[in-house]
Amino acid sequence: MGASLVYKVHKEIMKIISNSEKQTFKIANEFAKKLSGGEVLCLLGDLGAGKTAFIKGLASGLGVKNIITSPTFVLMKVYEGKNKIILSHIDAYRLDSGAELQYIGADEYLNDSNCITAIEWADRVKDIWPKNKILIKFKILEGNKREINIT
Amino acid sequence: MNIINSLMFGYYITLGCFLEVWCQGLFFLFFDVMILGNMIILAIETSCDETSASVLKAGSKKLELLSNVVSSQINIHAVYGGVVPEVAARQHVHNILPVIDEALKTAKIKPAKIDLLAVVPGPGLITSLMVGVETAKSLSFAWQKPLLEVNHMYGHIAGNFLQPIVFPAICLVVSGGHTEIVHLKNYQTYKKIGQTVDDASGEAYDKVAKLLNLGYPGGPKVSAEADKFTLLSKEGVGGGLPRIKLPRPMLNSGDFNFSFSGLKTAVLYATQKMTKKELLERTPEICFEFQEATIEVLTKKTLTAAKQFKAKTILMAGGVAANKRLREQLREMSEANGFAFSVPEFKLCTDNAAMIAIASYYLSQNKKTPLDNWQKIKVDPNWELA
Repeated sequence: MGASLVYKVHKEIMKIISNSEKQTFKIANEFAKKLSGGEVLCLLGDLGAGKTAFIKGLASGLGVKNIITSPTFVLMKVYEGKNKIILSHIDAYRLDSGAELQYIGADEYLNDSNCITAIEWADRVKDIWPKNKILIKFKILEGNKREINIT
Repeated sequence: MNIINSLMFGYYITLGCFLEVWCQGLFFLFFDVMILGNMIILAIETSCDETSASVLKAGSKKLELLSNVVSSQINIHAVYGGVVPEVAARQHVHNILPVIDEALKTAKIKPAKIDLLAVVPGPGLITSLMVGVETAKSLSFAWQKPLLEVNHMYGHIAGNFLQPIVFPAICLVVSGGHTEIVHLKNYQTYKKIGQTVDDASGEAYDKVAKLLNLGYPGGPKVSAEADKFTLLSKEGVGGGLPRIKLPRPMLNSGDFNFSFSGLKTAVLYATQKMTKKELLERTPEICFEFQEATIEVLTKKTLTAAKQFKAKTILMAGGVAANKRLREQLREMSEANGFAFSVPEFKLCTDNAAMIAIASYYLSQNKKTPLDNWQKIKVDPNWELA
């Protein structure tokens, strides 16, 4: 995945340094291939930290052909990838609790073993984090550099 | 025998043509009577944070808006920095019947006089859409009036159709959730030819406003800051050309797509290097340059599309079309290049039911809406323009 990437796998924590938006895309693209369905990805990080680039890479890795646009306005967008895998892309930025995700029908996807759910601004809906969630934290370093922690 | 057969065949064809012309004439006569009979439409729109109802009278020569009632929740949601789905739904439930009532009262129209109902099943916020759709379906059943579904984005475009449009046309659709370029062959036939590949332009305004601590909604706040910079330039104190330079994403991408996520990140980089004091002082400058970058990409790509598709008219639609500077720039650029230009008046740019009523009028001209159409209508929060 490129020599410039630094992997420090300690227990189950994976720390990756991305040097550009393109690299973040590639990292997510590779990461997607390790998923089998039913996973809930909780994405944490400030504006401009690389969440959009990551989701685009993730979708591409899952074989989604559609253009992935921001779900901020409609809160949730659902896409179909290859092998009947579904990607449910949620933006929790405007939500106060996970209960509100029920109102928009997100439950249906959270409990589906064919579906991979990616929640941006997941810290706003901590109450619905499942036990087997995958936390993905984005940190802005200097310039284009980002630190991505996957636990 | 063969000759006689051919002659007979010719005769039947002639008779057939004659009958067809006659039937068409009858059809147009009927069509005219229908329009002359003043078609009355009641439209309902609840796709985001505005509850709205409108009555439109379609006469033989013109469309006349009899009422357009909009109840906004913007102050309720400003506290949260955006629309909260559950709060929005409750507000819609609270507002919808009084809003419809007022729209009918203002228009002096009794339910019995209505010919067509229209509603928006998407795109939008699912909880908000449901209130409008369920209300409209109930009314359709109770009043025995046909109900037509209208795409919210097509509704925005139709905000331009109060006056006749010369086709083909290219429409720039800009809102909080969408940024698209649509090619229209006529009022009802259209195709999306480009769109944002990440954030909508309106969303980029919101995010930049957040980065600069300007509050919500971001559009008017960022524009107001940008105006301050323009004013400073005029007065000769500071200002001038912005020292900060932001990218024009995808300007030369060769297609009609946009990207605004990177532009927001560029703003982030620019502010990272600044001290708090400097950031405060230079906020108008940053907003000015951000707005220039956004407007340049939007206008130039629209113009290229208009030239490529040999359009006669450039249209603009959507909530961000209320941005004064964007309107002015696109108008200037369109007219300088020989295109007619149209943008709805301000109150028809932001979400409203009048644009849905106008849209439903044009859609209803294509085919008759069956009385039981309400049974088929379902909320579809991700209903994209084809």
